Amino acid sequence: MFAARCAGVSLAMFVLAYVLGSLAIGAGWRLLLRLLWPGSARATADLLFAIRIFPLGLALATTLGVALPSFLLLEPHATDEAVGTAPLALAAVFLALAVWGVWGAVRAQRRTSRAMQQWLDGSTRMDSPNAVPVFRSRQHSPTLTVAGVCAPKVIVSDDAAAVLTPAELNTALRHEIAHVRRYDNLKRLIFRVAAFPGTAALEAAWADQTELAADDAAVSSIDDALDLASALIKVSRLGIISTAELSRALLHSSTALGLRIRRLFAWGSGRRARPARPLWFCGFSFAAMLAVVISSYNAMLGGMHELTEWLVR
Amino acid sequence: MNRILRFISASAVRLGPLEQQLLEALWLRGSTTVRELLDEGSVELAYTTVMTTLDRLYKKKILDRVPEGRAFRYSPRYTKEELERAAAGETIHQLLGSGGAPSLPLSYLVEAVSDHDVRLLDELQQVLDRKRQELCSRDGATKERR
Repeated sequence: MFAARCAGVSLAMFVLAYVLGSLAIGAGWRLLLRLLWPGSARATADLLFAIRIFPLGLALATTLGVALPSFLLLEPHATDEAVGTAPLALAAVFLALAVWGVWGAVRAQRRTSRAMQQWLDGSTRMDSPNAVPVFRSRQHSPTLTVAGVCAPKVIVSDDAAAVLTPAELNTALRHEIAHVRRYDNLKRLIFRVAAFPGTAALEAAWADQTELAADDAAVSSIDDALDLASALIKVSRLGIISTAELSRALLHSSTALGLRIRRLFAWGSGRRARPARPLWFCGFSFAAMLAVVISSYNAMLGGMHELTEWLVR
Repeated sequence: MNRILRFISASAVRLGPLEQQLLEALWLRGSTTVRELLDEGSVELAYTTVMTTLDRLYKKKILDRVPEGRAFRYSPRYTKEELERAAAGETIHQLLGSGGAPSLPLSYLVEAVSDHDVRLLDELQQVLDRKRQELCSRDGATKERR
């Protein structure tokens, strides 16, 4: 019974922390972004990713760092108390969230693998400036994409390979390889595992910033910037789809494209609108938070035990 | 293209080898009846097989047909290029349609662009051309100075 109560209480605390964390970031991620303004697209993407997975981290830290030790240390082993309705209900919510998350990730991975198989059927390997393999697809593939998590591959459609100049294609490939280096596809899969309603806007903002970060990584001169802008325009013309056919997410990407190309035009002319928060500010905030947690750990364990007692009753 | 996407379903875009072979023959000939196709000798199949396959392509809205005597005259509804573009668009739409880009482990250079944005692309192309000209003239001036 002790073990069952321990599991029930731990899972309940996980769910409470996860849900509260998710609601908090859903409401406050824009404010947090303004406060911690990191400056570059890469740092902004990293911050948005950290905010997005914060509920999962918070839930794990609360469960493993506080709830579990508090229960093991402060709960008498001998008592024959029942698990309680509230912990049982919350544990059921945990199971539902876990199944939803894992199923979503497995489904996304399977759909991607199927699409990749289709695109790679009859494809030819192209010269790549990098260890990441590049394939020219003869099937109905997107113009330029990087697919896969464990063994990512860049796929270039026949149309794109025909329409882009070698310089444009090289810059576009560098853009895709930047996604591979930053494990963007893995991060997308993590989003699916840590699923929660109402995080679409945050994920879309992250996706926009990853594109900008990959643009930055692909470009090292104004010539590169213009080549990439040209590649974007040409590839966009190949992929025009009727507005009626577009989902909201695609319309969003369609709007962001103009901004992205104009940003490339302005390459090297002081693009940063606001200065970034200095690194010491973020480091200091984190260290201060850690100090508060360490100094009040005993009190936290006691508080958590009272909370679990209340929850079990 | 939009018209095609609206009419062709995802399953229709995926063609079997026999369907592909007959569609290729129709693209070459323009329009044909089953008998003409068999008499020409480019297809070595049974009459009923060809008839059933062409009927399937018609039902997938890839072919048009008009009655001719007791048979039908079939013609392709779209050019090869139109169909390939439609199929590519459909595949991407199918993949992304349900949840947007962040829902799948895929990163695109450009996800998709609405047909409303063609003018925007034209404008951006003009700016790009101007920028390239500026860059060329600047480089030329620098070289002359040297």
